[in-house]
Amino acid sequence: MRLFWQAVAAAFVVIGVAGGAVMLSVGGVPLLLQAAVPASVATILSAFAIGLLARQVNAALARNTEKMRLHFEHELARKTAELRSTLENMHQGVAMYDADYKLLTWNQKFREFLDMPDEFFGRDRSFIDYLRYVGKRGEFGDQNIESVIAQRVEQLKRVHSFERTRPDGTVLDVYRAPTPDGGFIAIYTDITERKQAEQELMRAMEAAEAANRVKSGFLANMSHELRTPLNAIIGYSQMLQEEAQDAGQSNFMPDLEKIENAGKHLLGLINDILDLSKIEAGRMTVFIEETNVASVITEVRGIIEPLAAKNGNRLAIECPADFGTIETDVTKLKQSLLNLLSNASKFTKNGTVTLAVARDGDRVVFRVTDTGIGMNEEQMGRLFQAFAQADSSTTRKFGGTGLGLVITRHFARMLGGDVSVTSQPGQGSTFSLVLPVRAADATQQPDSATRPQSGTAPRRAVSGDAASEHTVLVIDDDEAVHDTVGGMLGREGYRVLHARNGREALDIARKERPDAITLDVMMPQMDGWSVLTALKNDAALADIPVIMLTMLNERAIAVQLGAAGYITKPIDWSQLSAMLRRLGRPGGGARVLIVDDDPEMRAVTRRMLERTGFVVGEATNGEEGLTWLETNAAPAVILLDLMMPIMDGFEFLERIRANAAWRELPVIVVTAKALDASDVETLQRLTQRVIEKGASTAVDLRGAIREILKSRGAAAKAATA
Amino acid sequence: MAKILLVEDNEMNRDMLSRRLERKGFEVVMAPDGQQGVALATSEAPDLILMDMSLPVVDGWEATRRVKADDATRGIPVIALTAHAMVGDREKALNAGCDDYDTKPVDFPRLLGKIELLLQRGKE
Repeated sequence: MRLFWQAVAAAFVVIGVAGGAVMLSVGGVPLLLQAAVPASVATILSAFAIGLLARQVNAALARNTEKMRLHFEHELARKTAELRSTLENMHQGVAMYDADYKLLTWNQKFREFLDMPDEFFGRDRSFIDYLRYVGKRGEFGDQNIESVIAQRVEQLKRVHSFERTRPDGTVLDVYRAPTPDGGFIAIYTDITERKQAEQELMRAMEAAEAANRVKSGFLANMSHELRTPLNAIIGYSQMLQEEAQDAGQSNFMPDLEKIENAGKHLLGLINDILDLSKIEAGRMTVFIEETNVASVITEVRGIIEPLAAKNGNRLAIECPADFGTIETDVTKLKQSLLNLLSNASKFTKNGTVTLAVARDGDRVVFRVTDTGIGMNEEQMGRLFQAFAQADSSTTRKFGGTGLGLVITRHFARMLGGDVSVTSQPGQGSTFSLVLPVRAADATQQPDSATRPQSGTAPRRAVSGDAASEHTVLVIDDDEAVHDTVGGMLGREGYRVLHARNGREALDIARKERPDAITLDVMMPQMDGWSVLTALKNDAALADIPVIMLTMLNERAIAVQLGAAGYITKPIDWSQLSAMLRRLGRPGGGARVLIVDDDPEMRAVTRRMLERTGFVVGEATNGEEGLTWLETNAAPAVILLDLMMPIMDGFEFLERIRANAAWRELPVIVVTAKALDASDVETLQRLTQRVIEKGASTAVDLRGAIREILKSRGAAAKAATA
Repeated sequence: MAKILLVEDNEMNRDMLSRRLERKGFEVVMAPDGQQGVALATSEAPDLILMDMSLPVVDGWEATRRVKADDATRGIPVIALTAHAMVGDREKALNAGCDDYDTKPVDFPRLLGKIELLLQRGKE
């Protein structure tokens, strides 16, 4: 036994020697001698050595730990200070919550933005208590506070953001994202200024749009008012010439002719100025049609020949009779050719004016060459600028506004082509009008220089959220409206189709079957009322709701012609958005009957359904539900609670399934009841879906209803096919 | 002698055009607005109608539609007259049922050509 202990002690010492050089030098005990001393002494010594060793290790460790602790504390303090100063210098309010949704950390801005009593800013304050406080303060409107809370808590599982308007009018962007530990971070950004700027921009755009319309209206009136007396002057002077000729009094003829020519000249100037105003206001529209080139040339020749002859010029036409047709705006082509040819005739004396037409691939080139006075580089540079003729003395010598070429170039560009010039002083000039053979596509690009108000964005056929299930067709001739209304609808999550005139609108409506249509009343060619009538007369389109947009109060006509809604410009966005939500969403007016004895549950569900476009009926128990079904047309879906007084959900189900008229009605059970096996069996037999009342009821419900409507729609389609 | 119904609200235009037409040998009846125009189309049974488009009471588009909707007057050719060659006016006029279209100020020889063409076509 003793030997054993000695061996153990020795072993300890040996271990001590092997493992503890530091300890030995500090202890100063000659351990090498230990084999010679008695066993008991060795044992004591060993025990002493071990105690010493432990103490030494502890001391060393303690020193190190202290150092490390200090180091880590320092680091922690530094990092904390860094984080704190980062947080406090941010323009955003930031808060972090733990997995139990208790407040962990936050900055001063967060306190400011939340504007809550101090008690909400301690550690461990609950997000849910905060929501409840905000709800009680009335920020959830008339929504049920607990269901909003449930909804918000549900949202915390995902990254989400929304805008919140505080009681003082400040608008906050709230961003929340889950953190890895199961909590979440919330970031609040003050976007009041951005919002205000957006609203101001919107107002400015609407004002500009309104002003533009007023200007257009003024121009249209003006053109009528100016032309009417001129028509009389020109007409009577022509008539007098005819009468003078009949009466053989030809001495009056030259003077009467001068009156007529001056009248025509003035009319030409007025037309030019009005055309240019229209181009600059972006209101000049093009009408593309199949155009026979040779017959246009013949008509132009008839008008220009006398003009050319006046200056002793010969008019030469080089155009094959079988040139064929091109697709272009014939009025604008004619006006452009007349402009070029009358200029050439004006600036050439006793020479030749040549109009040559040739095809160049997919383009047509109309080349007008004269042998007149020609121009230098500088004069050519000024040619296409409004109100600048090649030489200001030109106006006195040759007359005209100098707008003809400006208008011609605008027209050419609107038709997808252009005008260019080559010339040398004294050598005559050549103007080339190049147009595409098929202008249809090119005309969709407005002349960017002429559309300052509407920007230079290309005309879109589709915009907004391409993936959206809900499509709105916007019909308007005004590009600015496409930008503003289209932008607004896109932001609201709609897919937006754009039509610029009635004919295009009807084509698109037939092809795409949009969920709703906004329709401008004032449009050229086919006005809004005609489009509305056409839509309502087409069985395939008649049930698409149409919202009329108009400057005037014409509600009576709108209702009479079958418009679903009516909004006066400038457009009230919230009104339009609410109207579309009501009309254009998937509910699309489908009826849902809610049978539930809980008034709060009914109210919440009703609001949710109405927001998504359903029409809602209510009954407070099974018996009322049956009465409702007897007195109303069958709903698309019934939402049924199980536990109700008078007649419960089970009995209601048995009763409707026994009635042939109601046997097929889809029923979704929404219940808080714990279901036993026989309940489940019954419900599976009699209903389409069972949803438990709880936080996500609304989401489940919407999905379930949509599914039912979709499958019934598909079944109906299959039945008619 | 062909009878022409001229529907035009502007007195000077009416006077001018009617005198020029009469000198060319037409009998001219006149109406100052669309409603009276439609009534005269029925009671006078003209061979052709010249219809201004911007008219009081009932405008030219609507008056034309009414003329073309009535079996008794459907066959009467209508030439639409508009103040200025607004883009789309021609299509609008043809859609409303007009047989031809011309712009004001009237180019009398050209208008005469259109009138004679339509009267000729009516006889065939």
